[in-house]
Amino acid sequence: MRLSAFSGPRKGIFSFMRQDAFSKCHPLTNFVFFVGAIGFSVVFQHPLYLAASCAAGAVYLVLLNGKKSWKLIAGLVPVFFLLSALNPLFNSYGERVLFHVFGKPYTLEALFYGMAIAGIFVAMMLWFNCYSAVLTSDKFVCLFGSLIPALSLLLVMVLRMIPNLMRKARQISDARKSIGKGAGETDNFREKVADGMNILSSLTDWALEGSIVTADSMRARGYGGAKRTSFQIYRMTARDYLLLGFSILLAFIVMFAGGTEATYTPVLYIAPPGWGLAAYCLYLLIPSLLHGKEALQWRISISRI
Amino acid sequence: MAHFHIQDLTFQYPNAAHPSLENVSLTVEKGEYVVLCGQSGSGKTTLLRHLKNVLMPYGKRSGSICFDGTPLEQVSQHDQAAKIGFVMQNPDDQIVTDKVWHELAFGLENLGTDPKTMRLRVAEMASYFGIQDWFHREVCNLSGGQKQLLNLASIMAMQPEVLILDEPTSQLDPIAASDFLNTVRKINIELGTTVIITEHRLEDIYHSADKVVVMDQGKVIACDTPRKVGQLLWLQGHEMFAALPTPVRVFYESQGAGDCPLTVREGRSWLTAAFEHHPIAVAEPAPEPAPEKPKAPALQVKEVWFRYEKESPDILRDLSFAVPAGSLFAIVGGNGSGKSTTLKTICGICKPYRGTVEVFGKPLKAYKPKELFQNGLAMLPQDPKSLFVKKTLREDLAEMSRDKEAVAAVAETCEITKLLDSHPYDLSGGEQQRAALAKVLLTKPKLLLLDEPTKGLDSFFKQKFARILRKLQEEGITIVMVSHDVEFCAEYADLVSMFFDGQIITTDTPHRFFGQNSFYTTAANRMSRCVFRNAVTAADVAALYRANLEGKP
Repeated sequence: MRLSAFSGPRKGIFSFMRQDAFSKCHPLTNFVFFVGAIGFSVVFQHPLYLAASCAAGAVYLVLLNGKKSWKLIAGLVPVFFLLSALNPLFNSYGERVLFHVFGKPYTLEALFYGMAIAGIFVAMMLWFNCYSAVLTSDKFVCLFGSLIPALSLLLVMVLRMIPNLMRKARQISDARKSIGKGAGETDNFREKVADGMNILSSLTDWALEGSIVTADSMRARGYGGAKRTSFQIYRMTARDYLLLGFSILLAFIVMFAGGTEATYTPVLYIAPPGWGLAAYCLYLLIPSLLHGKEALQWRISISRI
Repeated sequence: MAHFHIQDLTFQYPNAAHPSLENVSLTVEKGEYVVLCGQSGSGKTTLLRHLKNVLMPYGKRSGSICFDGTPLEQVSQHDQAAKIGFVMQNPDDQIVTDKVWHELAFGLENLGTDPKTMRLRVAEMASYFGIQDWFHREVCNLSGGQKQLLNLASIMAMQPEVLILDEPTSQLDPIAASDFLNTVRKINIELGTTVIITEHRLEDIYHSADKVVVMDQGKVIACDTPRKVGQLLWLQGHEMFAALPTPVRVFYESQGAGDCPLTVREGRSWLTAAFEHHPIAVAEPAPEPAPEKPKAPALQVKEVWFRYEKESPDILRDLSFAVPAGSLFAIVGGNGSGKSTTLKTICGICKPYRGTVEVFGKPLKAYKPKELFQNGLAMLPQDPKSLFVKKTLREDLAEMSRDKEAVAAVAETCEITKLLDSHPYDLSGGEQQRAALAKVLLTKPKLLLLDEPTKGLDSFFKQKFARILRKLQEEGITIVMVSHDVEFCAEYADLVSMFFDGQIITTDTPHRFFGQNSFYTTAANRMSRCVFRNAVTAADVAALYRANLEGKP
């Protein structure tokens, strides 16, 4: 059914064609890595650890999304400075007073602490962006489908419904425009609201009507009968186990090697970094290194041809 | 052993005055291809839903249904889910999950199939249906035809013994529809799956049916081979006769001799044989009256260019045409060629980046907001449901006009007076179409745009719709219609245009337009072009046949 000119294949469906080696690993490998990367970024306030996390996150994001990601990274820079500078206004612990604002001391320790918090924020933003690019909804469902089957099916159905509703809303609003009832046809605020309500109510009816058919279609295909199994499109390969093992090993080294302690207020203390930091950097760079390795391989194989 | 054996099935919905099914007895053998036809509301869907326990409607029921010799209620849900496949009308709502691969596996997951078998079955089906290329896609990015094919494939993955299809192609364009029906036919022939199908568009499937069942008001009035059913309906003078494929209609309407042809090919041989030793005195229908001197155009589109996004390809490329006032102007053309976009451009939803649209001699841009849609222009969208926003039809119409008399008059014109107090969603497709038209007409348009108005309508509703259009034309309304329905355009349009590659290639009267085309033309024309010229409707061919063989007009 061609409902509107937008119902055909949309632009951008090939965006997943950007090849990334880590994205093609098993969702479990992906998920464990991200739990580590994001978890460590929150826990470690050590400046070098934070810097490593931000840098590695940014590198991987650029590898994943290309030009698009520069915008985000550029946007995060002022956010970092703003957050850092704001913290001392609310937190006046610390020994070295730089100056006074509204009679309150603005301390160096609090400023560093602000930078650490801002660093955590930036790292989180970067890694979560990578996460959403790598762990798409179907991977998420694959991971948790066997744990909570009903919930995962619900999630899948919601994901299916959202674009559907969006399209129908546009269709209704177009249809109303073409009989002179569109929202843009009036400047009256009340009429605009009323029009919105009309579209919403029609959309609800439509969704309910559709859900009856969906329910029939589900029952007709045996839903609610025997114990459900779930179709796995992903398979744990030897490489996945290897990567998983490697990242867990590195994570343990990071945790037990020490040198991650840092306190900012009231007294500034930053532990001297040791092997732990090297392991941490390696951990964070796993996806980027994998990406680089594959890119290099292609380069070489192409040059051979 | 019969696959399905239905004995004396009677069914009545609660609160209904008449039973929806009355003493229906029917036997479907293994591997048969059964076509079930009848007007909307004749009980086809109700009957099909009785063939699967979970879909059975609630109400009073008597009689028995046996599947493979076992009463249906004793067949386990698991077996029913696996062995009886059911494809419904709406391609969109049937889909449960968001990914193509997941949808294919959904039924198998429910049956608790082990992962290894499931992988194989899914792979098999994807290959058989040619889905590999879009296996990883999101469902929402598929076209309607692809969605319906996916529905079919996901049911075939469960390896059913019977495939039941309830008007599967009513929401598809003709090319996607005939692809789909060919696939169903292929399944029947190659896998031996029993097929029970209802369809409005009989042209594609009638000839290949082993058995045609005709229903009328809940009763089976005919159940036989296609040829015999054709004869029976003709003898009874039944309304369903109008829905039969063109060759059958031509054969009976012309009182022809010999065996009734079912396909265009058979029709050609039949006509050729009939005129082999007979001179053709009248070779073409009476010429259409020469066009009167051109009236002022109601709509003029001049060199319009349009695309949706900066980077996307042009949808309209140098589109120019003029619609004479008071005519029914039909635009035909392939899917996705930009026909609907043309209509959207005319009513200002899409803004062209070059060129002008003039409505009644005034450029679109010169109209103030609202002015255009008051006594000016209105469009009936492809899906009539998108126009309904209230709980009853009466409220919906009241939204457009407070004048009760005007509402009553329009309801009368569109033949929906009796339906005014129903919820718009409770109406059948044909009724919804007319109700939506009523709503549109309340803006008192002088120029009416119709987007695929005959989609999903049965022949009976189409005739009714055509009657309404004629009435509107007499009132001086100009109608521009975009359609895939070649037969409908040939019969009712004043001018037909071919749309291709973002522009209109040619415009002519239906006889000359379809007479010249050799592929994109009506079945009647394709079958008769070997002996006659410019005959485009079944009535044309029948009249020529009689005029030549009997010597009377």
